[in-house]
Amino acid sequence: MATTQSTPVRAGASAVPYGHVIVSEKWRGTELAQLLQGKVNLMFEDGLGLVDFHLPQRACILYISETDLVSGNEFKRRLVRFRKASNLRGIVLAERTRLSDQYYSPVQNFVVLELGMTLLPVTNRSEAAQLIFHLIQERSREGGSNPFIGKKRCHLSEASILQTVQRIPAVGRVKALQLLHHFPSIQELSNASLRDLEAVVGRGFASNIHSFFTQT
Amino acid sequence: STACTGGPCILADSREISSGPEVITYLRTTHGVRVDICSLGGCDYIVSNRLSVERKSQSEFSNSANRSKLVERIKHLRSMFERVCLIVEKDRVKPGETSRLFQRTKYYDSTLSSLISAGVQVLFSSSQEETAALLKELVSLEQRKNTGITVPTQVSGHKQEVLNFYLSIPNVSYITALNLCHHVPSVSQITNSSVEEIVSKGNVSKQKAEEIYCYLHYVFDPKMLQ
Repeated sequence: MATTQSTPVRAGASAVPYGHVIVSEKWRGTELAQLLQGKVNLMFEDGLGLVDFHLPQRACILYISETDLVSGNEFKRRLVRFRKASNLRGIVLAERTRLSDQYYSPVQNFVVLELGMTLLPVTNRSEAAQLIFHLIQERSREGGSNPFIGKKRCHLSEASILQTVQRIPAVGRVKALQLLHHFPSIQELSNASLRDLEAVVGRGFASNIHSFFTQT
Repeated sequence: STACTGGPCILADSREISSGPEVITYLRTTHGVRVDICSLGGCDYIVSNRLSVERKSQSEFSNSANRSKLVERIKHLRSMFERVCLIVEKDRVKPGETSRLFQRTKYYDSTLSSLISAGVQVLFSSSQEETAALLKELVSLEQRKNTGITVPTQVSGHKQEVLNFYLSIPNVSYITALNLCHHVPSVSQITNSSVEEIVSKGNVSKQKAEEIYCYLHYVFDPKMLQ
């Protein structure tokens, strides 16, 4: 619609409450909207411009139908305009059907690799509804519950450092502990003089260790 | 040891030889990409100094029994790399077998949603051939952004020992260890480097360099071992 494109992205739609979705008026009464109804709170609005759905946490969805995909480049212009006009996180849903399948791969290169947006294939509107529902759910959850973000594994530094020192040739656990007792950080150990090392592990080992750190 | 200066270069894990042989072949023959096979330990492909690519078959990806494995793997990659990309590849159909109808589940959609929200780039491929083409696109993109792999990927002798030493530092990727290996003449120069020097020698973010710096200066307390 040429008229709505005068405002590429509606200002202020970036703050969508959790569990809600702002839906472009043009989706009112469609199968997709009906499938979402009752699961999430739909708020229909006019003048969303290029965007079809605004999700919580500054994400939004641009929907590419099978017809869009098959009929050519119009949707590409739309995505480029969106990319230029806004810093919202654009998720593109594209209807990848038997008919549009052959167009998917170049579109993926364009959307993901060139524009740096996300592209997800769906085969029909009911799949799209389920996916949109999960995207909203994900963005409505309490922080920290995303399994892929979760806390970093807590590395016990002592154990790792012992491992690292044992990577010095001919140094086993016992020698590593001896060394760390006298030179308690890797940096200190690396700067230990040959004489200091000899006092701890004997001549042969000392020169090995010293040359491991200083050899170029 | 040969340097991969100029041309595009990808590191592939040795397990990919058996699980994705065509990917490697297409990369080498059709796309002219140097593919070096290394033991990457928990990572399928390293495409640049910051990007790692994980390849999963659609059936493996969509089976919820693999959830914890996938979660661990992606978390592990995210702890080492600034960017993580997942390629979901359609399963190969054996001759005489009709392709099974793919059932899209809630698990599938919620996993996708979580990945995207975690900033993981997800790409879809219909074959090993297409996966190779995607990897080629990714490596070209990274080269254009000056993050491509430029150091020799094969090391031996003393350098191999030094590489193993760097690899034992928590959350240091294979390519970061290689960069340190080649950009710094001796180990003691790294242990005495500033954060800024680690950034430039290891081709890593400031945050990663700080992590490495802290590790090298961490004071070992034997009481903490128990």
